[in-house]
Amino acid sequence: MIIFQNVSKYYDFHTVLRNINISIQKGEMAFLTGPSGAGKSTLLKLMYMAEIPDEGNILIEDLDIGSMKMSQIPLLRRNIGVVFQDFKLIRNLNIFDNVALALRIRGVAEKETKALTSEALKKVNLRHLADSYPKSLSGGEQQRISIARAIVAEPLVLLADEPTGNLDPGTALDIIRLFRDLNSQGTTIMIATHNRELFRGTGKRVLKLDGGSLVGEELG
Amino acid sequence: MSYSFKVAFKSLYREKWINLLSIFTVGSSLLIITLTVFFLYNLELITGHLPERFSMMIYLKDNLAQEEVQNVLSTLRKRPDVAKLKYISKDEALKELKETLHDTNYILEGLDDNPLAASFEMRLKKDFVNAASAAKIAGEIKKMPGIDSVYYGEKIAEAINLLKRSVENISLIIFLTIALGVVFVTYSTVKILFYRRKEEIEILKLLGATGGFIRAPFLIEGGAIGLMGGVLGTIGAFAFYIAVTYRLSIVIPILKTLVFPPGLLIALPLTGIILGIIGSAIAIGRLRL
Repeated sequence: MIIFQNVSKYYDFHTVLRNINISIQKGEMAFLTGPSGAGKSTLLKLMYMAEIPDEGNILIEDLDIGSMKMSQIPLLRRNIGVVFQDFKLIRNLNIFDNVALALRIRGVAEKETKALTSEALKKVNLRHLADSYPKSLSGGEQQRISIARAIVAEPLVLLADEPTGNLDPGTALDIIRLFRDLNSQGTTIMIATHNRELFRGTGKRVLKLDGGSLVGEELG
Repeated sequence: MSYSFKVAFKSLYREKWINLLSIFTVGSSLLIITLTVFFLYNLELITGHLPERFSMMIYLKDNLAQEEVQNVLSTLRKRPDVAKLKYISKDEALKELKETLHDTNYILEGLDDNPLAASFEMRLKKDFVNAASAAKIAGEIKKMPGIDSVYYGEKIAEAINLLKRSVENISLIIFLTIALGVVFVTYSTVKILFYRRKEEIEILKLLGATGGFIRAPFLIEGGAIGLMGGVLGTIGAFAFYIAVTYRLSIVIPILKTLVFPPGLLIALPLTGIILGIIGSAIAIGRLRL
């Protein structure tokens, strides 16, 4: 469950998000859309506390972000899988270790880590690249690795920031299919995208953001 | 934990030049500490035997009756500070003097009476061999009946203590200075490595890593630099010891008696690890998650 109550965020004197009220039910899959600079990425960042709201409250799976102690931040982030727009892969680690990192951080046993990592790489069709390093991969491949890392630990909430930005239409639809599978298993998912093709015909809720304000809602 | 070790050792290899430089700096610093300990240890061995040789001469008044000498002896024996007592009669004293003078003992010819006094040679227990205790003991004995005078090497007692104290203090200053230097070297190295991996650390934070998870590889790396520096320092110190005892002792034989403190083989690498970890911990500081 994700709840935003009157959330605002400012950078210096510039309003990035204004009075946002959202309620995403547990196990729901929703899209966040809007033009570049609408505040989609900032809204996602507030959920994993890469940014702190200036006003309002945010609740993620019963965790009140506003009253959260510094020491609780890792716990929150371990419950959330994030597909970053810029992938955020570690250059010095090979693909396998990059994906496995999400499990190692959670203290999962090494044997289980290996099995789950292989499984996640298989889901994004990149098991054959396990020993490669990020710099030798294309943008699309790096994006899929980032997706594998976000889903490997089966988080309660999955946030994806333009997860198909570097993918061809066919692979993009495969990824959306993968997200829908995860959603059907109970994962709450929020995808920020400006690509209308991704949510068209999904029947999922689409939240429209423009100029930092929530301007509408429709079904995809 | 195995992941932390893997990351630490990968970084040790990847950043081998800066790490090697740190290891050599830590190694040479610890070598100086070792040589100080080595010097102190051997000085302790030498000065440790000096108190055993320190004695106090108690001269008796002339013509004391046998009974009076016995009284002095039994009073002295009861003292808690006495380790050993030896009675030297007038005749024995003269005999010793003649033996000492050897070829020039003719100067004693013509003496009708033995001018030397009977005495006790008294050795003090190790803890009482210092200027203050020796002066107090001498003063007390001097007041006893039948005692003419007490002689002891005040300067020697003072010198032994002063030498030991000075060496201990200097060694402590050297140890603390060098230890601080080692901490600073590992601090600087880990700080550089930390900044080089800033991006990686930011990613780890976003993935939910705890402070401990992020810190562990750096602490291991700092500890490993300290350990390798310690091992290097030990090898250097041992090479120095071999060179001194086997090579230099041909010219200066007394050096053959030097002893290599065996505890250093473990203590030095351990010191390296501890100082390395301290340096790393300071370098990382508090992490903002």
